[in-house]
Amino acid sequence: MSRYETYTGAAGLLSRREFLQASGGLIIAFRLFDPAKGAAATVAATQSVSPPPAGRLYAWLAVHPDNTATLFTGKVETGTGVLTALAQIAAEELDFPVDRLAVVMGTTSQTVDQGPSYGSMTVRYAGPQVRNAAAAGRQVMLDLGARHFKLPASGLEAKDGTIAVTGAPGRNITYGQLVDGKRLDFEIGASGEQFAMKVAPQARPKDPSTYKVVGKSVPRKDIPGKVTGQFTYVQDVRVDGMLHGRVVRPYGVGAKLLSVDETGLKDIPGFVQIVRRANFLGVVAQTEWAAIQAAQKLGSTLSSPGPDGGQAKWSRWEGLPLMDQIWDTVRSSAGRDTPVASHGSVDTALRSLAGGRTLKATYKTPFQMHGSIGPSCAIAEVKGDRATFWSGTQMPHETRRDMAKMLGIPLANIELRWIEASGGYGRNGLDHVVADAAVMSQAVGRPVRVQWMRWDEHGWEPKGPPIVQDLTGALDKHGRVVAWRHHMWVPTISDTHLIAAALIGKPDISGETGTGADPALTYAYTFDNADVVVHGKGRVALLTAWLRSPAQFETTFAMESFIDELAAAAGQDPLAFRLAYLKDPRAIAVLKAAAQEYGWVSRPARGKKPSPNGKPVQGRGIAWVNRDDSRVATIADVTVDPGSGRIKVGRVVVAHDCGLVVNPDGLRNQVEGNIIQSLSRTLHEEVAFDRSQVSSRDWQGYPILRFSEIPDRIDVVLVNNRPEYPPNGAGEPSTNPTAAVISSAVFDAIGVRLRQTPFRPDRVKAALG
Amino acid sequence: MPQNLTLNVNGTGHAIAVEPNSMLLYALRNNLGLHGPKFGCGLAECGACTVLMDGKAIRSCVMPVSAVGRSEITTLEGLGTLDKPHPLQRAFIEEQAAQCGYCINGMIMTAKALLDHTPHPSREEIKRTLEGNLCRCGTHMRIVRAIERAAEQGG
Ligand code: FES
Ligand code: FES
Repeated sequence: MSRYETYTGAAGLLSRREFLQASGGLIIAFRLFDPAKGAAATVAATQSVSPPPAGRLYAWLAVHPDNTATLFTGKVETGTGVLTALAQIAAEELDFPVDRLAVVMGTTSQTVDQGPSYGSMTVRYAGPQVRNAAAAGRQVMLDLGARHFKLPASGLEAKDGTIAVTGAPGRNITYGQLVDGKRLDFEIGASGEQFAMKVAPQARPKDPSTYKVVGKSVPRKDIPGKVTGQFTYVQDVRVDGMLHGRVVRPYGVGAKLLSVDETGLKDIPGFVQIVRRANFLGVVAQTEWAAIQAAQKLGSTLSSPGPDGGQAKWSRWEGLPLMDQIWDTVRSSAGRDTPVASHGSVDTALRSLAGGRTLKATYKTPFQMHGSIGPSCAIAEVKGDRATFWSGTQMPHETRRDMAKMLGIPLANIELRWIEASGGYGRNGLDHVVADAAVMSQAVGRPVRVQWMRWDEHGWEPKGPPIVQDLTGALDKHGRVVAWRHHMWVPTISDTHLIAAALIGKPDISGETGTGADPALTYAYTFDNADVVVHGKGRVALLTAWLRSPAQFETTFAMESFIDELAAAAGQDPLAFRLAYLKDPRAIAVLKAAAQEYGWVSRPARGKKPSPNGKPVQGRGIAWVNRDDSRVATIADVTVDPGSGRIKVGRVVVAHDCGLVVNPDGLRNQVEGNIIQSLSRTLHEEVAFDRSQVSSRDWQGYPILRFSEIPDRIDVVLVNNRPEYPPNGAGEPSTNPTAAVISSAVFDAIGVRLRQTPFRPDRVKAALG
Repeated sequence: MPQNLTLNVNGTGHAIAVEPNSMLLYALRNNLGLHGPKFGCGLAECGACTVLMDGKAIRSCVMPVSAVGRSEITTLEGLGTLDKPHPLQRAFIEEQAAQCGYCINGMIMTAKALLDHTPHPSREEIKRTLEGNLCRCGTHMRIVRAIERAAEQGG
């Protein structure tokens, strides 16, 4: 009997013809594989929608008769190019042409749970899993070839999707012919879960020094579709019988829904019904326009009518702290302390300081938001004890489990079909909107598509939390650092309880309440006396979630700016000053590489105040970070106009060490994105709120960087891009140094030290006095 | 009540029934299935929904269908296809000028209107023209380069 099961499509969900139609497009150049279209109509109510077993090869790979293949991964694309990177890794190990390899991501019935896609961890952790699975796949192809040619596998070679007999030109067969349309039902073994999962432990992946596809700037598979309007985002998915929903959020984060006046709703053509459950309010309609009109009547508008100004009445709730005192809340709500570094005695060193200087500073950073350009969107179809979701969440398998909890439906009956969304940069509203759609679909018994309005997104996506940090540093009379104290108050970044769940009265789904601690910082300096502590997770009134390089963007700002303060006080060159206290060779290497590329000339910061209406002045800044073992050093030039307080960034140089780079152009794209986004966070971004709710409800209320403000150049230098250094994350690290770089460059230019982001022109002017 | 009207989109007349005060974006996306233009803000603040109306870049999220009349609407789909991309689209592919890509419709359509009447814009002109288009992924450098490349190639 054959070891195969009959091939029934990718993982049993698509008919073969549909699958080939869907994936066939990709084969010709860079067409699209559209899981939304293929899978949508074909799931029979009785079919299993549970994830495939990680220890079977078909959980990772399918090879089709036309010699195309599909990689299945529980990781998802968030705009960073990991789809192409994982395809390269799989193609490399499978010895298969990367342009004939499609990738299915995230869909819970077709992929293994490899953990959420966050923290720049996809290539680092999922990469080895995919690599091993694909290496096991190549071995299977060799074994099948051995049987076909009746030769030992050692006499065969795998190349470009073909098994050939060594030294016998013309004797070869494609993987597609060997597999013959069957499912790859082979045991490859797997243990552990998510990030820690070990896949195919017996597999023998290639020696990285022989890589041909990994390390190449393979063009991203998704871009042609995205620039021609052919790509399907989750916002574009339409399902048969679907209705459109909109949410009407409370006025006031904790407000209760008192009453709903439905006058006039029935007059809206296409209006179906309101969905009211405890404090949850939504509207459902035949058309998107009708849903928007109905929600508007109930108070979902840009300038909200207040708790009792609209047709939905809310209790008056004013439980948020004052915006300018939010850092007091951060301090007072802190949980357990966690030491990051503790060497010698800072107190003794400070007491016995003779003839030196002690510096003290406090750094503050505000709430910031992910701010996806496309608001969160999902479709839910909840029918009895079964549910299907179409979602772009970063964490499809978690969201599936959350929905089982929230809806009280058996996990085995829930499928989440993952479709890419607008870029996320962390955990934004994409899983919350799934819950909104679920509540509405359950109420109306039909599929409901919910898209948040811009003010829903700005107002209710979970935010990156405000952070406050106190630093003390002491220099002896020779300008050497003798004491370093850095205390950080970092609230929880996972106060992410599903909004809809809380509104319907199930407040405990998918979130934590805080207390523990997250180091949020890698401390690498070698000061004799150091005291670095994180005051653990407090709660800060608004929902929080990880936002690109959570907390470390902020802690790097404080640490690296304060190093610069000490260097300036010691009258030393800020690069040499850092190098004097570093032993980490990879940190030293990125700093030196950036300096070399930039043409760094050793000198202390100038730090002279200009005359109030003097000409624009230039300055330079430098900083570095170790983010989960990736090292990045950044140098930038700024021009500051003392009259207007405007900061303009000129040239930026980034030295980046994330080990072996899977796709160098993809990495550059990421680094450019990180630099521009972090500049935006440095110069502009602060979520405003009143005592009731977030008042930054649109792009006017939460400005981000525009074209006129982008740097003149961003030069990227790759460091340690070599086979002996395993690939590491690159989605976040280069975000981290930016605020410190700009703060120090501004000091170099105009002699004022900016310790609170964003560095808006009014703050620069105020600092100049 | 929904009204029957004809929209001229990408060179073809389409009969649809929509609320006359509803916005063009929803007609394009939901009635005609054209997903190039995107909903980003609905407030004319981000540019994701940009289409050409008689050659001018407009924000379809705030353009009532009733105001379109017989005007010619062009969407991203109307420029080129996967097989035959428009020079601008080709330049965006060549420069790999997208991350999530959600904003890119607005970038290309705004650039199209620019290049149509200024075939060789300076870098400053390109940036000024895109000043009202937001990209959250930070793809700006590549977007500018792609438009310069398209201009060089006579896009
Ligand atoms: S969606 Fe039209 S400008 Fe933002
Ligand atoms: S590429 Fe994602 S918003 Fe521009």
